[in-house]
Amino acid sequence: MAWVRSPRAARLLSWGCFLAAWQVAVPLLPTDLLPTPSAVAAFMVAELRRDTLAPHTVYASFGLSFQRLGVGLFLAFAAGVPLGLLMGLRRWAEDFLHDFAVAGLAMPSLAWALVAGMWFGFGDLAPVVTVTLAAVPFVVINVAEGARNVPADLLQMSTAYRVGRTAVIRHVILPALMPFFFAALRYGLANAWKGLVLAEVWASTEGAGWVIKFWYDAHRSQGIVGYALFFVLVALLIERVVFGRLSRWVFRWRPARQHDSPDGAGPVTAGASGRA
Amino acid sequence: MSRARTLVRDTGERWRRWAWRLAGYAVFLGAWQGVSTFLVEGFVVPPPRAILTEMGGIVASGQVWIHFGATLRTIAIGFAVAYALGAAAGMLMGRSRWWEAFLSDWVLATLTTPGLIFALVAAMIFGLGPAGPVAAVIVTSFSYVAVNVVEGVKAVPHELVDMARAFGRGPAPVVRHIYLPFLAPYLFTAVRYGFSIAWKIATLSEVIVGTAGIGFMMRQKFQEFSMTGFLAWVLLFFAFALFLERVVVQRGMRRVLRWRVTAAVR
Amino acid sequence: MAGVRVRELRKEFPGGDPPVVAIEDISFTVDGQEFVSVVGPSGCGKSTLLNILSGIDTATRGQVDITQNGRPARLGYVFQSARLLPWRSVLDNLLFVQPARGPADRERCRRYLDMVRLGHTAGQYPGQLSGGMQQRVGIARAFSIEPDLLLMDEPFSHLDAITARSLRRELHDLWQETRKTVLFVTHDVSEAVELSTRILMLAPGGRLVADLPVRLPFPRDPAADEVALARADLLRRFESLDLLAG
Ligand SMILES: Nc1ncnc2c1ncn2[C@@H]1O[C@H](COP(=O)(O)OP(=O)(O)OP(=O)(O)O)[C@@H](O)[C@H]1O
Ligand SMILES: [Mg+2]
Repeated sequence: MAWVRSPRAARLLSWGCFLAAWQVAVPLLPTDLLPTPSAVAAFMVAELRRDTLAPHTVYASFGLSFQRLGVGLFLAFAAGVPLGLLMGLRRWAEDFLHDFAVAGLAMPSLAWALVAGMWFGFGDLAPVVTVTLAAVPFVVINVAEGARNVPADLLQMSTAYRVGRTAVIRHVILPALMPFFFAALRYGLANAWKGLVLAEVWASTEGAGWVIKFWYDAHRSQGIVGYALFFVLVALLIERVVFGRLSRWVFRWRPARQHDSPDGAGPVTAGASGRA
Repeated sequence: MSRARTLVRDTGERWRRWAWRLAGYAVFLGAWQGVSTFLVEGFVVPPPRAILTEMGGIVASGQVWIHFGATLRTIAIGFAVAYALGAAAGMLMGRSRWWEAFLSDWVLATLTTPGLIFALVAAMIFGLGPAGPVAAVIVTSFSYVAVNVVEGVKAVPHELVDMARAFGRGPAPVVRHIYLPFLAPYLFTAVRYGFSIAWKIATLSEVIVGTAGIGFMMRQKFQEFSMTGFLAWVLLFFAFALFLERVVVQRGMRRVLRWRVTAAVR
Repeated sequence: MAGVRVRELRKEFPGGDPPVVAIEDISFTVDGQEFVSVVGPSGCGKSTLLNILSGIDTATRGQVDITQNGRPARLGYVFQSARLLPWRSVLDNLLFVQPARGPADRERCRRYLDMVRLGHTAGQYPGQLSGGMQQRVGIARAFSIEPDLLLMDEPFSHLDAITARSLRRELHDLWQETRKTVLFVTHDVSEAVELSTRILMLAPGGRLVADLPVRLPFPRDPAADEVALARADLLRRFESLDLLAG
């Protein structure tokens, strides 16, 4: 009986309840479109075995989306890191750019996706540009905050001991910026991923986002729900496994208990992750 | 005299900051105007004037009220439900590890899954009616509220709760005098983020299934390939969201935080 | 060992009106092998002085000359707080300040860690050590570059009395062993009497008001009569400074 009270049991139970509630809800909802869990499971298994009606397999679609995400994020960091450093270190740059960075944070990624779609038409360009635009404000704001927070006492210590410039950059400045890079990556990626899916729907003919729209237009409800679950799984994978590991490694020097908080290892704009 | 000099320096500093800020806007508008006149066709990057005129037209024709009203109704219903559910879930998760394990996968999943997914699933279940967007709003803002409330509950100092227990105070005063004052800022952060996410998901849903609302208009303009109209609606959306968040929500927040300061002084 | 020559040193901080004078035209020299304490009430410019000597800050006017046989001296600095890189291991913190980072340096760093009895923590992160242990790492770091001149800024003021006492003893032994020139800032008069061969006294406003040799044999027992007497004398001067300031 004690076992039921363990967190692991809670997690199992919650998945069980979810499936049960779903099964019960199917006949109750005002639609006959909602698929049963077993139909969705069959669909997902077929997809994973590359047996699909869509033009591309689930692997190819998510693979393409990740490529676009990678390129876009790379561009976002390439542009955002220098801008952020400038903003953090120079007062005039802060005054000059601040409002735009904040407006960028608040901009719905839907708007970026549609604008990029109108500008660049169908293809790879619109999704990549959407990713970049959706991520850049997070990079700029976090890096600027980091640049303002490089610990002055450690820089002074380095001066007193005549430590060379490259060593200071490598051992003091970069590690001090690390949590901020990390936050930039985490929240920038979350927002960019959501924007990317939208851009793929309206400005592309392939990629994971486009496929879910394909199922929607084809009235394949188990396709929609099955793909939705793929998205949920990918999100959990990125958040729990990739970021969990990464944060444990990046912050291994922190005393225990600090780096395993469930959400928001980053120091700033933890709440600003809220974008659709 | 020293006071006067300090004042002069401060004003000079403030002027300089404002000058840079205005320079930022000037450069932005100038670049925009330059691009639209010299580099590309006007329909690709319409000049700022054209967008302003269009915005004026939308407001004057009263269209703005119809569509903002439709979106606001969706948000109001959806967000109220999401807030109640999210706050309750957040309390449970913050106080008990069991509930945290029970709910955290779902909170995390809804937090990180693209809103489009929920919009599509909701559209599939509820069809073209107004229920779909409301459901999408509930599911997404729920987890933003829950996460913030969890943070708040975890920020409540255990010593104080233990102290109150040690003095034999029942649960009601503990909630009133310890939990609420500590939770208040988190509850408001939850309002702000939950609300801004509600906006976005509501418009997104309307893009897909709406028959009215800001998102619906954005889709129309997108399909007509009218960049001017599209940007005009986006900017109106932006202005309205900013107004609601900065003025309405933050003013309410300040009012309640004032209560919190007096409570803390007492 | 390195000598320090300070001539007509002045430091003003702009921003106030008139600007804050942190150090007002002070001159002194310190010879090799001396252990000189700088005492004075809070805010009288002690840290500012060390910061200028170490090159962290620049003087408004005046000359500072720290040489060792004609070449610039090598400085070690122990700060009020440990100032360790939290993301580097204890040993790497020591290596960080070595001019060249060869295997010989690594060996030496380990030796100085052993000297402050922290050899076993070489692989740990500073966050895993207590405050007193971190401060000892800071001391080992300062010694590990085998400095010609050691600057110390109230290194024990954050610590409890017992830890401070044992660290003081440790510092004294290290100094006896190595005979570095030490410039030691403190506002604790008995600490100054216990450790130093000479005491410089600063008054509020950054004026140098006394330069007193302490001619007592080591080790100094704080309870011994002549140590107590020296302390009482110094304390009297110190309190008169406070009255002047008030
Ligand atoms: N960066 C600065 N800008 C302006 N004023 C400063 C600055 N640093 C120090 N001061 C001023 O210079 C004076 C001397 O400061 P300093 O830190 O040297 O004092 P201190 O003797 O080390 O005091 P304590 O014993 O409290 O550490 C103080 O009046 C202080 O306000
Ligand atoms: Mg000081």
